[in-house]
Amino acid sequence: MEFNETGKPVVQLKNVTKIIGKRKIIDGLSVDLQEAEVFGFIGPNGAGKTTTIRMMVGLISITDGDVIIRGQSIRHDFEKAIRHVGAIVENPEMYKYLTGYQNLLHYSRMVPGITRQRIDEVVELIGLKARIHDKVKTYSLGMRQRLGIAQAILHKPSLLILDEPTNGLDPQGIRELRDYLRKLAKDEGITVFVSSHLLSEMELMCDRVVIIQNGQLIDNRSIRQTAIPDTEAQRVLFEVDRAEEALEVLQGQTAGLYQGLLWVNADREEVAAINARLITAGFKVYAIRVQNKSLEDQFLEMTGGERIV
Amino acid sequence: MFNFWQLVRNENLKIYSRIQTWFMIGFIVILQIGLSALLKFIPSEFEPISWAAMFEQTYILFFFIAIFTVVVAANSVANEFSSGTIKLLLIRPWSRSKILLSKYVSILLFGLLLGAIMFVLTLGVNLLLFPFDNSNSVVHESFGSVRDMRPIEYILLYYGNKFIELVMLVTISFMMSAVFRSSVLAIVLSLLILTSGMGIARILFALGYEWVDYVLFLHMNFVPYLDGAPRKEEFTLPFSMAVYGVYYVIFIATTWFIFNKRDVSS
Ligand SMILES: Nc1ncnc2c1ncn2[C@@H]1O[C@H](COP(=O)(O)OP(=O)(O)OP(=O)(O)O)[C@@H](O)[C@H]1O
Ligand SMILES: [Mg+2]
Repeated sequence: MEFNETGKPVVQLKNVTKIIGKRKIIDGLSVDLQEAEVFGFIGPNGAGKTTTIRMMVGLISITDGDVIIRGQSIRHDFEKAIRHVGAIVENPEMYKYLTGYQNLLHYSRMVPGITRQRIDEVVELIGLKARIHDKVKTYSLGMRQRLGIAQAILHKPSLLILDEPTNGLDPQGIRELRDYLRKLAKDEGITVFVSSHLLSEMELMCDRVVIIQNGQLIDNRSIRQTAIPDTEAQRVLFEVDRAEEALEVLQGQTAGLYQGLLWVNADREEVAAINARLITAGFKVYAIRVQNKSLEDQFLEMTGGERIV
Repeated sequence: MFNFWQLVRNENLKIYSRIQTWFMIGFIVILQIGLSALLKFIPSEFEPISWAAMFEQTYILFFFIAIFTVVVAANSVANEFSSGTIKLLLIRPWSRSKILLSKYVSILLFGLLLGAIMFVLTLGVNLLLFPFDNSNSVVHESFGSVRDMRPIEYILLYYGNKFIELVMLVTISFMMSAVFRSSVLAIVLSLLILTSGMGIARILFALGYEWVDYVLFLHMNFVPYLDGAPRKEEFTLPFSMAVYGVYYVIFIATTWFIFNKRDVSS
């Protein structure tokens, strides 16, 4: 594998396959998750993210393959494997007629050793203290999302699975969540598995992402390695005083105009040469910048735009 | 085992946090007091003894207790599915079987609670309002049984039988709830059995089918044996118990099997 592996993976998806009826919804998915890693699970609508998560937490059966969590099989040792997992699957649906606190109390009773003190600690952490004794039906979507995260981390899991957790959070909440998830991974060694559509979010939050489409893994990469090597041509934008005329000067190059700017596909050395040519030809060059392909662009490229299959 | 009670506590929390539950309890209390008051203050030729009043009211109240318990049983599993809370409930270090069992236990406890309220009220209020006669002849005169026993003994046995009937109704409702995830279907079917089970059995009886002997509705409780009047001459208590038992095991096995196997993807 192309990424550095240190020690045994905390979670292993081994050739996980799900067939419903005659449709192969997940097709031989294999991924290893390391300790203390924030892992992004990206795919367009209907790619199979939620289905994969449901299999990882034992809500639906696994047609073929297995999910191993801390050495325990979710298929054969469900109770032992799930003990290490905290999760939100799709929307964080809670008992609406109970208060937020009663909901947490309810989940705390299902795992030995969660004290009231721990509940208070978590409530404080997710910033719901003022409303925790109100009925959940009076909560906003964002507040429910926070409560969902609270129930997932209550028992200090070593794998935290969140299905689109930023759904319904305000920018402040998203930022807090991002910081908090990174902190959980770094300080407590928790592996965080997040699925999302918000690709820009993933870029900021994750150490590694996999992209799936039609139930198949199509890419697996470390985020910190996405910088493009020096020798590779990339799109460079030149801000010049007469862009159209400048374009004529650059005949022979892959170039064009974009929003009044001149763009050229060039590698590092070429950029310097082009700049020299423009200046010699009497143009004023105000700025040169590399147009970074964001993860989002790459994602759209790879999955073929917004096509939903 | 101690931890299992935490699961039951959770289910109790869910049952007793709902207003409808308290409406049910209140309804039973008010209905009982109302029935006794009617009997006392509406002028009539003769005043019943307290046992007779208790017996009659139990017959009426049981009907409502059965409805309420069946409703709670129907909601127990189906509501977790319809609200989506089932997902967060099942991803805990507990087998699905034990989670289901905790629900079943909490429903039976609710039925017991309603039964206890009915017992205490029908006994207490009627003892206060009506004359007391503790002779064994009451069992024959007021309860229509051939047994020679104290009225309280008969009443306790009668309650026990009614609870057995309630358990079967709840089990059916619970099964429908877990299998079809629809509380409406569970409630309708269980109440149909409660109200028309005997009627259906009689029709089958009249049509003369042989297998009618094994129809569950004829064996929902064992009161006929208490009264010394089996529904059919050749019926015996062990036979009725065996039929009841076979159905019970089939229903419970179906419920648990399907709940354990089911893909939770709603
Ligand atoms: N119970 C089911 N029966 C049949 N098909 C299903 C079932 N559940 C999911 N699918 C199909 O499996 C595919 C993957 O669905 P899934 O919900 O996992 O996608 P997703 O990646 O979570 O999408 P989204 O981003 O919209 O949440 C979809 O095509 C969906 O129609
Ligand atoms: Mg999804």
